[in-house]
Amino acid sequence: MRPWLLGPVQAAVALLLAPGLVGAIRWMKARLQSRAGSPPWQPYLELRKLFAKEVVVSSNASWLFRAAPFIVFGSTVTVTLLVPLLAVPLPFGGAGDLLVVVYLLLLGTFFLALAGLDPGSPFGGMGASREMTVAALAEPTMALAIFALAWGAGSTNLGQIALRTLSMPSEALAPGHVLAFAAIFLVTLAETGRLPVDNPSTHLELTMIHEAMILEYSGRYLALIEWAAALKLLVFFSLLGNLFAPWGVASVITPGALLWAAGTLALKLLALGGVIALVETHIAKLRLFRVPELLSASFILALLAVTASFLLR
Amino acid sequence: MSPEMVSQLSVGGSTLVLLGGLMMLWRRGVAAHIGAFTFQSVALAATMAMVGWFAGDWQLWAVAALLLLVKGIGIPLLLKRMERRFGSERELEPYVNTATSLLIGGLLVLLAYIVTAPLVSVSRLPTRTGMPLAIGLVFVSLFIIISRKKALTQVLGFLMLENGIALLAVLGTHGIPIIVEIGVFLDVALGFIVMQVFVYQIHETFESIDVEQLNRLRE
Repeated sequence: MRPWLLGPVQAAVALLLAPGLVGAIRWMKARLQSRAGSPPWQPYLELRKLFAKEVVVSSNASWLFRAAPFIVFGSTVTVTLLVPLLAVPLPFGGAGDLLVVVYLLLLGTFFLALAGLDPGSPFGGMGASREMTVAALAEPTMALAIFALAWGAGSTNLGQIALRTLSMPSEALAPGHVLAFAAIFLVTLAETGRLPVDNPSTHLELTMIHEAMILEYSGRYLALIEWAAALKLLVFFSLLGNLFAPWGVASVITPGALLWAAGTLALKLLALGGVIALVETHIAKLRLFRVPELLSASFILALLAVTASFLLR
Repeated sequence: MSPEMVSQLSVGGSTLVLLGGLMMLWRRGVAAHIGAFTFQSVALAATMAMVGWFAGDWQLWAVAALLLLVKGIGIPLLLKRMERRFGSERELEPYVNTATSLLIGGLLVLLAYIVTAPLVSVSRLPTRTGMPLAIGLVFVSLFIIISRKKALTQVLGFLMLENGIALLAVLGTHGIPIIVEIGVFLDVALGFIVMQVFVYQIHETFESIDVEQLNRLRE
Protein backbone atom coordinates (compact mmCIF):
# COMPACT_ATOMS: atom_id res chain seq x y z
CA MET A 1 0.00 0.00 0.00
CA ARG A 2 1.31 3.43 -0.86
CA PRO A 3 1.90 5.57 2.26
CA TRP A 4 0.05 8.63 0.98
CA LEU A 5 -3.10 6.56 0.61
CA LEU A 6 -3.26 6.40 4.40
CA GLY A 7 -4.63 9.96 4.61
CA PRO A 8 -7.73 9.38 2.44
CA VAL A 9 -8.28 5.94 4.03
CA GLN A 10 -8.26 7.55 7.46
CA ALA A 11 -10.67 10.30 6.39
CA ALA A 12 -13.01 7.67 4.88
CA VAL A 13 -12.95 5.58 8.08
CA ALA A 14 -13.70 8.69 10.17
CA LEU A 15 -16.57 9.71 7.87
CA LEU A 16 -18.07 6.24 8.06
CA LEU A 17 -17.71 5.87 11.83
CA ALA A 18 -18.89 9.37 12.87
CA PRO A 19 -22.70 8.96 12.53
CA GLY A 20 -22.43 5.57 14.19
CA LEU A 21 -20.68 7.13 17.18
CA VAL A 22 -23.49 9.67 17.63
CA GLY A 23 -26.04 6.90 17.27
CA ALA A 24 -24.22 4.71 19.79
CA ILE A 25 -24.13 7.51 22.37
CA ARG A 26 -27.86 8.16 21.87
CA TRP A 27 -28.61 4.45 22.19
CA MET A 28 -26.50 4.03 25.37
CA LYS A 29 -28.12 7.11 26.87
CA ALA A 30 -31.58 5.77 26.11
CA ARG A 31 -30.76 2.37 27.66
CA LEU A 32 -29.36 4.09 30.77
CA GLN A 33 -32.62 6.02 31.10
CA SER A 34 -34.68 2.80 30.64
CA ARG A 35 -35.97 3.84 27.24
CA ALA A 36 -35.93 1.55 24.21
CA GLY A 37 -34.19 4.21 22.11
CA SER A 38 -33.62 4.24 18.37
CA PRO A 39 -31.03 1.76 17.05
CA PRO A 40 -27.38 2.92 16.86
CA TRP A 41 -27.52 3.11 13.04
CA GLN A 42 -30.41 5.61 13.09
CA PRO A 43 -28.16 8.63 12.17
CA TYR A 44 -27.17 6.91 8.88
CA LEU A 45 -30.84 6.64 7.95
CA GLU A 46 -31.41 10.26 8.95
CA LEU A 47 -28.51 11.40 6.76
CA ARG A 48 -29.86 9.41 3.79
CA LYS A 49 -33.30 10.94 4.28
CA LEU A 50 -31.91 14.49 4.54
CA PHE A 51 -29.77 14.12 1.40
CA ALA A 52 -32.88 13.15 -0.56
CA LYS A 53 -34.97 16.06 0.69
CA GLU A 54 -35.62 19.38 -1.01
CA VAL A 55 -33.64 22.44 0.21
CA VAL A 56 -35.60 25.47 1.39
CA VAL A 57 -33.61 28.71 1.68
CA SER A 58 -34.90 31.97 3.10
CA SER A 59 -35.14 34.76 0.50
CA ASN A 60 -33.10 36.98 2.86
CA ALA A 61 -30.13 34.60 2.85
CA SER A 62 -26.95 35.48 0.93
CA TRP A 63 -24.32 33.24 -0.71
CA LEU A 64 -22.73 32.81 2.73
CA PHE A 65 -25.67 30.75 3.88
CA ARG A 66 -25.20 28.32 0.98
CA ALA A 67 -21.39 28.21 1.28
CA ALA A 68 -21.17 27.68 5.03
CA PRO A 69 -22.16 23.96 5.11
CA PHE A 70 -19.45 23.13 2.59
CA ILE A 71 -16.82 25.13 4.51
CA VAL A 72 -17.80 23.49 7.80
CA PHE A 73 -17.76 20.01 6.28
CA GLY A 74 -14.56 20.63 4.31
CA SER A 75 -12.59 22.00 7.26
CA THR A 76 -13.66 19.10 9.48
CA VAL A 77 -12.69 16.51 6.86
CA THR A 78 -9.29 18.21 6.47
CA VAL A 79 -8.76 17.79 10.20
CA THR A 80 -9.18 14.03 9.91
CA LEU A 81 -6.13 13.99 7.60
CA LEU A 82 -4.00 15.50 10.38
CA VAL A 83 -5.19 13.63 13.48
CA PRO A 84 -3.56 10.24 14.20
CA LEU A 85 -6.69 8.09 14.01
CA LEU A 86 -5.09 4.90 12.72
CA ALA A 87 -1.34 5.37 12.32
CA VAL A 88 1.68 7.55 13.15
CA PRO A 89 3.48 9.28 11.55
CA LEU A 90 0.90 10.46 9.04
CA PRO A 91 1.69 11.28 5.40
CA PHE A 92 0.16 14.76 5.76
CA GLY A 93 1.34 15.14 9.37
CA GLY A 94 4.00 17.62 8.28
CA ALA A 95 1.31 19.92 6.88
CA GLY A 96 -0.18 20.83 10.21
CA ASP A 97 0.21 20.39 13.93
CA LEU A 98 -2.16 20.50 16.87
CA LEU A 99 -2.67 24.26 16.56
CA VAL A 100 -3.77 23.91 12.93
CA VAL A 101 -6.25 21.23 13.97
CA VAL A 102 -7.77 23.41 16.69
CA TYR A 103 -8.07 26.44 14.43
CA LEU A 104 -9.49 24.47 11.51
CA LEU A 105 -12.23 23.27 13.86
CA LEU A 106 -12.76 26.86 15.03
CA LEU A 107 -12.98 28.00 11.40
CA GLY A 108 -15.99 25.73 11.02
CA THR A 109 -17.56 27.13 14.19
CA PHE A 110 -16.95 30.68 12.94
CA PHE A 111 -18.68 30.10 9.59
CA LEU A 112 -21.53 28.30 11.29
CA ALA A 113 -22.04 31.36 13.51
CA LEU A 114 -21.95 33.65 10.45
CA ALA A 115 -24.49 31.45 8.71
CA GLY A 116 -26.68 31.61 11.81
CA LEU A 117 -26.67 35.40 11.60
CA ASP A 118 -27.13 35.57 7.82
CA PRO A 119 -30.87 34.86 7.31
CA GLY A 120 -31.74 37.36 10.05
CA SER A 121 -33.90 35.05 12.14
CA PRO A 122 -33.85 35.89 15.86
CA PHE A 123 -32.88 32.39 16.98
CA GLY A 124 -29.92 32.23 14.62
CA GLY A 125 -28.44 35.39 16.06
CA MET A 126 -28.99 34.21 19.60
CA GLY A 127 -27.39 30.85 18.91
CA ALA A 128 -24.44 32.47 17.13
CA SER A 129 -23.73 34.84 19.99
CA ARG A 130 -23.90 32.02 22.53
CA GLU A 131 -21.71 29.73 20.44
CA MET A 132 -19.09 32.46 20.12
CA THR A 133 -19.14 33.05 23.90
CA VAL A 134 -18.50 29.38 24.55
CA ALA A 135 -15.86 29.08 21.82
CA ALA A 136 -13.98 32.17 23.02
CA LEU A 137 -13.79 30.70 26.53
CA ALA A 138 -12.97 27.13 25.46
CA GLU A 139 -10.18 28.10 23.06
CA PRO A 140 -7.53 29.36 25.55
CA THR A 141 -8.05 26.19 27.60
CA MET A 142 -7.45 24.05 24.55
CA ALA A 143 -4.31 26.00 23.60
CA LEU A 144 -2.87 25.74 27.13
CA ALA A 145 -3.62 22.02 27.45
CA ILE A 146 -1.87 21.51 24.12
CA PHE A 147 1.20 23.33 25.36
CA ALA A 148 1.30 21.00 28.37
CA LEU A 149 1.48 18.03 25.98
CA ALA A 150 3.82 19.69 23.51
CA TRP A 151 6.22 20.64 26.29
CA GLY A 152 6.77 17.01 27.23
CA ALA A 153 7.13 15.82 23.65
CA GLY A 154 9.20 18.77 22.45
CA SER A 155 6.91 19.20 19.44
CA THR A 156 3.38 20.35 18.66
CA ASN A 157 3.06 17.69 15.97
CA LEU A 158 0.30 15.24 16.91
CA GLY A 159 2.21 12.22 15.62
CA GLN A 160 5.28 13.17 17.65
CA ILE A 161 3.23 13.55 20.85
CA ALA A 162 1.62 10.12 20.32
CA LEU A 163 5.00 8.52 19.51
CA ARG A 164 6.56 9.99 22.62
CA THR A 165 3.85 8.51 24.86
CA LEU A 166 4.20 5.19 23.01
CA SER A 167 7.94 5.08 23.69
CA MET A 168 7.61 6.17 27.34
CA PRO A 169 4.44 4.55 28.75
CA SER A 170 4.99 6.07 32.24
CA GLU A 171 4.45 9.52 30.65
CA ALA A 172 0.74 8.70 30.23
CA LEU A 173 0.23 8.93 34.00
CA ALA A 174 2.38 12.04 34.53
CA PRO A 175 0.41 14.76 36.37
CA GLY A 176 0.63 17.12 33.39
CA HIS A 177 -1.00 14.54 31.13
CA VAL A 178 -3.78 13.65 33.54
CA LEU A 179 -4.70 17.30 34.13
CA ALA A 180 -4.53 18.12 30.42
CA PHE A 181 -6.85 15.17 29.76
CA ALA A 182 -9.39 16.52 32.25
CA ALA A 183 -9.16 20.01 30.72
CA ILE A 184 -9.59 18.77 27.14
CA PHE A 185 -12.49 16.54 28.22
CA LEU A 186 -14.35 19.60 29.55
CA VAL A 187 -13.53 21.50 26.34
CA THR A 188 -14.87 18.56 24.33
CA LEU A 189 -18.18 18.82 26.18
CA ALA A 190 -18.36 22.54 25.42
CA GLU A 191 -17.17 22.46 21.80
CA THR A 192 -19.31 19.57 20.64
CA GLY A 193 -22.44 20.86 22.38
CA ARG A 194 -22.83 18.10 24.96
CA LEU A 195 -24.79 18.31 28.15
CA PRO A 196 -23.65 20.63 30.88
CA VAL A 197 -23.16 23.32 28.21
CA ASP A 198 -25.71 22.54 25.50
CA ASN A 199 -28.37 19.87 25.26
CA PRO A 200 -27.95 17.89 22.01
CA SER A 201 -31.41 16.29 22.13
CA THR A 202 -33.63 19.32 22.66
CA HIS A 203 -35.20 21.86 20.36
CA LEU A 204 -36.44 24.04 23.18
CA GLU A 205 -35.72 27.56 21.98
CA LEU A 206 -34.48 29.16 25.16
CA THR A 207 -31.80 26.62 25.99
CA MET A 208 -30.28 25.64 22.68
CA ILE A 209 -26.96 26.82 21.28
CA HIS A 210 -25.91 24.64 18.37
CA GLU A 211 -29.46 23.83 17.27
CA ALA A 212 -30.40 27.53 17.26
CA MET A 213 -27.70 28.34 14.72
CA ILE A 214 -28.73 25.64 12.25
CA LEU A 215 -32.46 26.15 12.62
CA GLU A 216 -32.81 27.63 9.13
CA TYR A 217 -31.06 24.76 7.36
CA SER A 218 -32.81 21.92 5.58
CA GLY A 219 -32.16 19.12 3.12
CA ARG A 220 -28.62 18.32 2.06
CA TYR A 221 -27.21 21.44 3.77
CA LEU A 222 -28.53 20.23 7.11
CA ALA A 223 -27.19 16.74 6.36
CA LEU A 224 -23.69 18.15 5.75
CA ILE A 225 -23.78 20.16 8.97
CA GLU A 226 -25.03 17.23 11.04
CA TRP A 227 -22.38 14.98 9.52
CA ALA A 228 -19.67 17.56 10.24
CA ALA A 229 -20.87 17.88 13.84
CA ALA A 230 -20.65 14.10 14.28
CA LEU A 231 -17.18 14.17 12.71
CA LYS A 232 -16.09 16.91 15.11
CA LEU A 233 -17.19 14.76 18.05
CA LEU A 234 -15.19 11.86 16.62
CA VAL A 235 -12.10 14.07 16.16
CA PHE A 236 -12.22 15.30 19.76
CA PHE A 237 -12.73 11.75 21.04
CA SER A 238 -9.84 10.41 19.03
CA LEU A 239 -7.62 13.27 20.25
CA LEU A 240 -8.51 12.24 23.80
CA GLY A 241 -8.05 8.54 23.04
CA ASN A 242 -4.99 8.55 20.81
CA LEU A 243 -2.93 11.38 22.30
CA PHE A 244 -3.27 10.35 25.92
CA ALA A 245 -3.43 6.56 25.47
CA PRO A 246 -1.97 5.88 22.02
CA TRP A 247 -1.80 2.10 22.38
CA GLY A 248 -3.12 0.29 19.34
CA VAL A 249 -2.19 3.07 16.89
CA ALA A 250 -0.18 1.51 14.06
CA SER A 251 3.43 2.65 13.72
CA VAL A 252 4.08 0.39 10.71
CA ILE A 253 1.71 0.44 7.77
CA THR A 254 0.55 -3.13 7.19
CA PRO A 255 -3.08 -4.23 6.70
CA GLY A 256 -3.01 -6.22 9.94
CA ALA A 257 -1.71 -3.31 12.04
CA LEU A 258 -4.25 -0.96 10.45
CA LEU A 259 -7.12 -3.34 11.19
CA TRP A 260 -5.95 -3.67 14.79
CA ALA A 261 -5.71 0.16 14.98
CA ALA A 262 -9.26 0.54 13.63
CA GLY A 263 -10.50 -1.99 16.20
CA THR A 264 -8.84 -0.27 19.17
CA LEU A 265 -10.01 3.13 17.89
CA ALA A 266 -13.60 1.87 17.80
CA LEU A 267 -13.21 0.52 21.35
CA LYS A 268 -11.79 3.84 22.63
CA LEU A 269 -14.60 5.78 20.93
CA LEU A 270 -17.22 3.50 22.47
CA ALA A 271 -15.62 3.81 25.91
CA LEU A 272 -15.53 7.63 25.74
CA GLY A 273 -19.07 7.61 24.33
CA GLY A 274 -20.14 5.52 27.31
CA VAL A 275 -18.58 8.07 29.67
CA ILE A 276 -20.45 10.88 27.89
CA ALA A 277 -23.72 8.94 28.06
CA LEU A 278 -23.19 8.38 31.80
CA VAL A 279 -22.34 12.05 32.40
CA GLU A 280 -25.37 13.21 30.40
CA THR A 281 -27.67 10.89 32.35
CA HIS A 282 -26.23 12.00 35.65
CA ILE A 283 -26.19 15.80 35.40
CA ALA A 284 -28.51 18.59 34.32
CA LYS A 285 -27.73 21.43 31.96
CA LEU A 286 -25.94 24.40 33.52
CA ARG A 287 -27.52 27.81 33.38
CA LEU A 288 -25.93 29.78 30.56
CA PHE A 289 -24.47 32.26 33.05
CA ARG A 290 -22.73 29.44 34.93
CA VAL A 291 -21.02 28.10 31.78
CA PRO A 292 -18.11 30.61 32.04
CA GLU A 293 -17.46 29.27 35.55
CA LEU A 294 -17.16 25.70 34.27
CA LEU A 295 -14.88 26.82 31.46
CA SER A 296 -12.65 28.89 33.74
CA ALA A 297 -12.34 25.82 35.97
CA SER A 298 -11.16 23.86 32.95
CA PHE A 299 -8.78 26.73 32.13
CA ILE A 300 -7.29 26.39 35.61
CA LEU A 301 -6.87 22.65 35.07
CA ALA A 302 -5.00 23.36 31.83
CA LEU A 303 -2.84 25.95 33.58
CA LEU A 304 -1.92 23.45 36.30
CA ALA A 305 -1.15 20.90 33.57
CA VAL A 306 1.33 23.31 31.98
CA THR A 307 2.96 24.14 35.30
CA ALA A 308 3.22 20.45 36.22
CA SER A 309 4.98 19.57 32.96
CA PHE A 310 7.15 22.66 33.37
CA LEU A 311 8.20 21.62 36.89
CA LEU A 312 9.10 18.08 35.88
CA ARG A 313 11.32 19.06 33.00
CA MET B 1 11.26 4.13 44.42
CA SER B 2 13.44 6.03 41.99
CA PRO B 3 13.95 9.78 42.57
CA GLU B 4 12.23 10.62 39.23
CA MET B 5 9.14 8.77 40.34
CA VAL B 6 9.19 10.55 43.70
CA SER B 7 9.36 13.94 42.03
CA GLN B 8 6.48 12.95 39.71
CA LEU B 9 4.43 11.71 42.64
CA SER B 10 5.12 14.80 44.71
CA VAL B 11 4.05 17.08 41.86
CA GLY B 12 0.94 14.93 41.38
CA GLY B 13 0.13 14.93 45.09
CA SER B 14 0.66 18.65 45.58
CA THR B 15 -1.39 19.37 42.45
CA LEU B 16 -4.29 17.45 44.03
CA VAL B 17 -3.85 19.37 47.29
CA LEU B 18 -3.85 22.65 45.36
CA LEU B 19 -6.92 21.55 43.39
CA GLY B 20 -8.73 21.20 46.71
CA GLY B 21 -8.07 24.90 47.32
CA LEU B 22 -9.17 25.90 43.82
CA MET B 23 -12.34 23.81 44.20
CA MET B 24 -13.23 26.16 47.07
CA LEU B 25 -13.10 29.07 44.64
CA TRP B 26 -15.17 27.27 42.04
CA ARG B 27 -18.01 25.68 44.00
CA ARG B 28 -20.74 27.45 45.94
CA GLY B 29 -22.42 26.13 49.03
CA VAL B 30 -20.90 25.13 52.33
CA ALA B 31 -21.33 21.38 51.79
CA ALA B 32 -19.17 21.49 48.64
CA HIS B 33 -16.55 23.58 50.48
CA ILE B 34 -16.35 21.08 53.32
CA GLY B 35 -16.02 18.30 50.73
CA ALA B 36 -13.15 20.18 49.07
CA PHE B 37 -11.38 20.58 52.40
CA THR B 38 -11.77 16.87 53.23
CA PHE B 39 -10.44 15.91 49.79
CA GLN B 40 -7.48 18.23 50.29
CA SER B 41 -6.62 16.80 53.71
CA VAL B 42 -6.77 13.23 52.43
CA ALA B 43 -4.54 14.13 49.46
CA LEU B 44 -2.10 15.85 51.82
CA ALA B 45 -1.98 12.80 54.12
CA ALA B 46 -1.32 10.56 51.09
CA THR B 47 1.51 12.82 49.89
CA MET B 48 3.03 12.79 53.37
CA ALA B 49 2.84 9.00 53.54
CA MET B 50 4.51 8.80 50.11
CA VAL B 51 7.38 11.04 51.23
CA GLY B 52 7.63 9.04 54.47
CA TRP B 53 7.96 5.83 52.51
CA PHE B 54 10.63 7.30 50.26
CA ALA B 55 12.62 8.81 53.17
CA GLY B 56 12.13 5.72 55.35
CA ASP B 57 10.91 7.90 58.20
CA TRP B 58 8.27 6.39 60.54
CA GLN B 59 7.59 9.81 62.08
CA LEU B 60 6.12 11.08 58.80
CA TRP B 61 3.79 8.08 58.73
CA ALA B 62 2.62 8.95 62.24
CA VAL B 63 2.07 12.58 61.23
CA ALA B 64 0.14 11.50 58.13
CA ALA B 65 -2.11 9.23 60.22
CA LEU B 66 -2.68 12.00 62.75
CA LEU B 67 -3.49 14.45 59.95
CA LEU B 68 -5.98 12.05 58.41
CA LEU B 69 -7.63 11.62 61.81
CA VAL B 70 -7.79 15.31 62.75
CA LYS B 71 -8.30 17.10 59.42
CA GLY B 72 -9.69 14.29 57.29
CA ILE B 73 -12.34 13.09 59.75
CA GLY B 74 -12.55 15.21 62.93
CA ILE B 75 -12.73 18.78 61.67
CA PRO B 76 -15.04 17.97 58.68
CA LEU B 77 -17.49 16.37 61.15
CA LEU B 78 -17.46 19.49 63.33
CA LEU B 79 -17.84 21.68 60.24
CA LYS B 80 -20.86 19.66 59.13
CA ARG B 81 -22.44 20.23 62.52
CA MET B 82 -21.88 23.96 62.13
CA GLU B 83 -23.37 23.84 58.65
CA ARG B 84 -26.54 22.16 59.94
CA ARG B 85 -26.92 24.94 62.47
CA PHE B 86 -26.65 27.73 59.88
CA GLY B 87 -28.56 25.72 57.28
CA SER B 88 -30.56 28.68 56.03
CA GLU B 89 -27.43 30.49 54.83
CA ARG B 90 -26.29 27.93 52.32
CA GLU B 91 -25.60 30.23 49.39
CA LEU B 92 -22.28 31.96 49.94
CA GLU B 93 -21.82 35.10 47.94
CA PRO B 94 -18.20 36.20 47.53
CA TYR B 95 -16.90 39.72 46.93
CA VAL B 96 -15.32 38.55 43.67
CA ASN B 97 -17.35 36.43 41.23
CA THR B 98 -16.42 32.82 40.55
CA ALA B 99 -14.81 33.14 37.12
CA THR B 100 -12.65 36.09 38.18
CA SER B 101 -11.57 34.46 41.42
CA LEU B 102 -10.54 31.30 39.53
CA LEU B 103 -8.41 33.40 37.20
CA ILE B 104 -6.90 35.24 40.17
CA GLY B 105 -6.18 31.83 41.71
CA GLY B 106 -4.31 30.84 38.55
CA LEU B 107 -2.31 34.06 38.61
CA LEU B 108 -1.42 33.50 42.26
CA VAL B 109 -0.06 30.05 41.40
CA LEU B 110 2.08 31.59 38.67
CA LEU B 111 3.30 34.21 41.15
CA ALA B 112 4.25 31.39 43.51
CA TYR B 113 6.47 29.91 40.77
CA ILE B 114 8.36 33.15 40.38
CA VAL B 115 8.73 33.64 44.13
CA THR B 116 9.93 30.10 44.85
CA ALA B 117 12.36 29.75 41.94
CA PRO B 118 15.45 30.60 44.12
CA LEU B 119 14.17 28.37 46.94
CA VAL B 120 13.74 25.39 44.62
CA SER B 121 17.18 25.79 43.06
CA VAL B 122 18.82 25.58 46.51
CA SER B 123 17.16 22.29 47.46
CA ARG B 124 18.62 18.91 46.45
CA LEU B 125 15.64 16.78 47.48
CA PRO B 126 13.66 15.05 44.71
CA THR B 127 10.47 16.32 46.36
CA ARG B 128 11.40 19.97 45.73
CA THR B 129 9.38 20.01 42.49
CA GLY B 130 6.12 20.33 44.43
CA MET B 131 7.20 23.33 46.51
CA PRO B 132 5.87 26.06 44.18
CA LEU B 133 2.45 24.44 44.35
CA ALA B 134 2.51 24.46 48.16
CA ILE B 135 3.31 28.19 48.21
CA GLY B 136 0.59 28.62 45.58
CA LEU B 137 -1.88 26.98 47.96
CA VAL B 138 -0.81 29.38 50.74
CA PHE B 139 -1.54 32.33 48.43
CA VAL B 140 -4.85 30.90 47.24
CA SER B 141 -6.01 30.30 50.84
CA LEU B 142 -5.13 33.86 51.81
CA PHE B 143 -7.18 35.01 48.83
CA ILE B 144 -10.09 32.83 49.99
CA ILE B 145 -9.91 34.43 53.43
CA ILE B 146 -10.06 38.00 52.10
CA SER B 147 -12.54 37.50 49.25
CA ARG B 148 -15.36 35.61 51.03
CA LYS B 149 -18.04 37.13 53.21
CA LYS B 150 -19.13 34.24 55.39
CA ALA B 151 -17.17 33.57 58.58
CA LEU B 152 -17.39 29.81 57.98
CA THR B 153 -15.62 30.08 54.62
CA GLN B 154 -12.92 32.19 56.19
CA VAL B 155 -12.34 29.48 58.80
CA LEU B 156 -12.01 26.97 55.95
CA GLY B 157 -9.53 29.30 54.24
CA PHE B 158 -7.46 29.39 57.41
CA LEU B 159 -7.45 25.58 57.65
CA MET B 160 -6.32 25.34 54.01
CA LEU B 161 -3.56 27.83 54.70
CA GLU B 162 -2.35 25.49 57.43
CA ASN B 163 -2.48 22.55 55.01
CA GLY B 164 -0.33 24.54 52.57
CA ILE B 165 2.29 25.21 55.22
CA ALA B 166 2.35 21.53 56.24
CA LEU B 167 2.79 20.51 52.59
CA LEU B 168 5.65 22.98 52.16
CA ALA B 169 7.38 21.61 55.28
CA VAL B 170 7.11 18.02 54.09
CA LEU B 171 8.31 18.71 50.55
CA GLY B 172 11.04 21.15 51.50
CA THR B 173 12.60 19.40 54.51
CA HIS B 174 11.07 15.88 54.59
CA GLY B 175 9.15 16.84 57.67
CA ILE B 176 9.88 18.50 60.97
CA PRO B 177 10.26 16.53 64.24
CA ILE B 178 7.07 14.88 65.39
CA ILE B 179 6.95 16.85 68.66
CA VAL B 180 6.74 20.09 66.67
CA GLU B 181 4.09 18.59 64.39
CA ILE B 182 1.98 17.56 67.39
CA GLY B 183 2.33 21.10 68.73
CA VAL B 184 1.14 22.50 65.40
CA PHE B 185 -1.86 20.14 65.41
CA LEU B 186 -2.81 21.23 68.92
CA ASP B 187 -2.49 24.81 67.77
CA VAL B 188 -4.76 24.24 64.79
CA ALA B 189 -7.31 22.34 66.87
CA LEU B 190 -7.40 25.09 69.50
CA GLY B 191 -7.51 27.80 66.86
CA PHE B 192 -10.39 26.01 65.18
CA ILE B 193 -12.32 25.70 68.44
CA VAL B 194 -11.81 29.39 69.23
CA MET B 195 -12.96 30.35 65.74
CA GLN B 196 -15.95 28.04 66.04
CA VAL B 197 -17.00 29.78 69.26
CA PHE B 198 -16.47 33.08 67.50
CA VAL B 199 -18.67 32.11 64.57
CA TYR B 200 -21.42 30.98 66.96
CA GLN B 201 -21.15 34.30 68.80
CA ILE B 202 -21.35 36.26 65.56
CA HIS B 203 -24.43 34.24 64.66
CA GLU B 204 -26.00 34.90 68.07
CA THR B 205 -25.45 38.64 67.85
CA PHE B 206 -26.20 39.36 64.21
CA GLU B 207 -28.40 36.38 63.26
CA SER B 208 -26.07 35.86 60.31
CA ILE B 209 -22.46 34.84 59.75
CA ASP B 210 -22.00 37.39 57.01
CA VAL B 211 -19.03 39.48 58.12
CA GLU B 212 -20.40 42.43 56.12
CA GLN B 213 -22.79 42.91 59.02
CA LEU B 214 -19.91 43.38 61.45
CA ASN B 215 -19.45 47.06 60.63
CA ARG B 216 -22.86 47.77 62.14
CA LEU B 217 -22.77 48.62 65.85
CA ARG B 218 -25.35 47.11 68.17
CA GLU B 219 -26.18 47.56 71.80
